[in-house]
Amino acid sequence: MVGITEMTNWAVDLIDVRKIYGKTIHALRGVNIQVGRGEIFGLLGPNGAGKTTLVKIMMTVVRPTHALGTLLGRPLGHRGKLAGTGYLPEDHRFPGYLTGAQLLDYYAALGKVPRSRRKVNAAKLLDRVGMSEWATTRIDKYSKGMLQRLGIAQALMNDPELMVLDEPTDGLDPVGRRDVRELLLELKSAGKTVFLNSHLLSELEMVCDRVAILVDGLVARQGTLDELTEETVEYRIAFSGDARAIQEKVEALGASLGANVITVSGHDTGKVNAMIDLLRAADLSVESVQPHRFSLEDILVQVLADQSATPVARPVHP
Amino acid sequence: MQFWALIVDSFRESVDRKIFWVLVGLTLLITLVMLSVGFAGEEVTLFFGMWSTETDRFNPLSDIGRANLVGFVVYLLASTMMGWIGVTLMIIATAGAFPAFSERGALDVVLAKPINRARLFLYKYFATMVFVVLQGTLFFVLTFLVMWLRWGVWAPGYLLSIVFLVLLFSYLYCVSVLVAVKTQSAVAAILLTLFAWVLFALIHQAPSVFETFPDLKKRRTVYVAVRVASWIPPKTGDFPYLAARWSQAGTSIDALPYFDMDTATELERTQIERARQVEEQELAKNQFYSIGSSLLFEIVVVLLAMWTFARKDY
Repeated sequence: MVGITEMTNWAVDLIDVRKIYGKTIHALRGVNIQVGRGEIFGLLGPNGAGKTTLVKIMMTVVRPTHALGTLLGRPLGHRGKLAGTGYLPEDHRFPGYLTGAQLLDYYAALGKVPRSRRKVNAAKLLDRVGMSEWATTRIDKYSKGMLQRLGIAQALMNDPELMVLDEPTDGLDPVGRRDVRELLLELKSAGKTVFLNSHLLSELEMVCDRVAILVDGLVARQGTLDELTEETVEYRIAFSGDARAIQEKVEALGASLGANVITVSGHDTGKVNAMIDLLRAADLSVESVQPHRFSLEDILVQVLADQSATPVARPVHP
Repeated sequence: MQFWALIVDSFRESVDRKIFWVLVGLTLLITLVMLSVGFAGEEVTLFFGMWSTETDRFNPLSDIGRANLVGFVVYLLASTMMGWIGVTLMIIATAGAFPAFSERGALDVVLAKPINRARLFLYKYFATMVFVVLQGTLFFVLTFLVMWLRWGVWAPGYLLSIVFLVLLFSYLYCVSVLVAVKTQSAVAAILLTLFAWVLFALIHQAPSVFETFPDLKKRRTVYVAVRVASWIPPKTGDFPYLAARWSQAGTSIDALPYFDMDTATELERTQIERARQVEEQELAKNQFYSIGSSLLFEIVVVLLAMWTFARKDY
C-alpha cells in the first residue's frame, strides 16, 4: 500500500496498472510511473504500446483491470480530484453545433467552474491560443489546428493543477507547435504539472524534465533525460588513413571500427585516449574527437530493438 | 450546474437539427388550419369565413359541442399528429443523441470531469427530453390558445397532454437509449424502438383476442401468461385516452347525449351521479395502472442502460 506521506508528494503515482481487453489482449502489464509536482513528464513509445490506454485510465475514461496509486494525492479514479485536472484527449471530437466560446463554457460547467470564472477564463484562454476571433464561430467550421488549440484551451478552463495532454501538437503547424511548447513551459513556471503523451520525440526532448518509455504495456525506461542518455553517450574519433592493421586491437578494447571512425561507447575517456594513442602509434592522423549523446529517438529505437523490456522499479521519493 | 449545462447543450443540439424545425413547422401549420376554422353558434366557418355550414355537433355554446370540439382536437390532431407522427419524428431526432454523446473522442473530456457516470447518464437522459418538452409545449399551448381564444372553448386540462406526451415519448426513448448505448448506432436505435412500439401495442391488445374467441380462455396457462405479459410493456396506446379524459374533465359526462340532466327526475339524477362517481374511480384506477406500470418498465430499462453505460470503456 502507498503511505500517506508519499501520496502527497507525487502529482501522479501509478502503481501496477494493468488493463486486459477481453481475456487475451494485455494492453498494460503492470505499469509504474511517478510524476513529481511541477514537472513536465513525457510518455513515449511505439504505436500500440498502451500510452493512450494509460492516459485514459488516469482520466477515468477506461476502467483498469488493476490499478493502485494516486492522482494529486487522492486514489486513482477519485472524482473530486478530476476538478483539478485538465485533459486533452487524442482524436477528440467536439460537438459541431457549439461555438468555441460555448464549448469552453459547457466543459467548464461540467467541471464545476463557477459561471463568473468561466466567462473570464474563456476570453483569456481563447486569446492565449489565438482563437479570439473565432470565439463565436461554430466548431464545425474549424480546421484541425484550430480544434487542437481549442482543445488545449478547454483543458485549461479550470486552472488545473495537473494537465494531461494526449498528442497536443497533433495537427498543428510549426508555429502552433512552438506556441504549445511555450505554453507548457509557462505552465511549468506557474508550478503546474504536465503529463504529456506525444509521438514527436523532439518535442518531448525540448520540454520534458522526465520521460518514461512504454513498450508492449510495460515501462522499459524512466528517468530524466540526462539519466536516460547517460549510458548512451559515445565518442566518435575521426581519422584518416588505413586502420585495418589495428582493427583487432580496437575491438579488443571494446570499441568499434567504421569507415574512418572509431566509436567508443560510454563515458570512458581513458578508453578514448587509448584509442588516440593507438591511432598515433599506427601513424594515422586523428582529425576530430566528438562526444555524441543519443537522442530520445535513438533511445527508443534501442529499447525497441531490445524486446526484453522489464518493469522499472518505483523510485522512493519524487 | 452540471445538469443545467447538459440541458443547455441538449437545447442547442435540438435546435441544430432540421427535424426540430420540421416539427415546429408542422405545429404552426396545424395551428393555422385551426385558426382558419370559426364557430358562431351553430354556424361553422372554414378557411377564415370563405365557406360556412350549420351543425349543432360543434356548437361551442353547448356542452356537447364543446366536448366534441375538444375530442376532435385530442383524437384527430393531438393523438395522430403528435402521438404518432410527432413521436416518431422525435424518436428519429433523438436516437442519435447518445451515440454522438458517447462516441470515441467525444465522451473522453466529459468522463474526465468530476461527475460520476451514473449521474452523467441520467442527466443526459433527462436533458435530451428537452426536445420533446419544447415541441410538446409549443403544440399544446398553441392549440389550447386557438381553442380558447378563437373557438371560446376553455379546456385547461388539455395542457396536461404535454405531460402525457412526454411520458409516451419517454416509454419509447428508454428503449432507444438502451439500444444506443449497447450498439452505438442511431439507426439500430430507431428501428428497434419502432419495432418495440409495435410490439408493445400488440402485447397490450393480445388479451382482447380471448374476448373475441372465448373458447381460447379454456387454455388457462396461455390465458394467464398473456394477461400477465400485457401488464409488463408500457401502455403507449393510452396517450389519446389519457389526454382526452383530462381535457374533457367535468364536461364529458355532462355532455353525453343520452343524459339530459335538465329533464331527468330526481332518482335519475342520483343514479347518474352515482354512475359518474363509479366511472371516475374506475378511470382514476386505470390511469394509475397505465402510468405506473409504464414508468416501472421505463425505470428498469433506464437502469439497465445506465449500468451498460457506466461499465463501458470509451
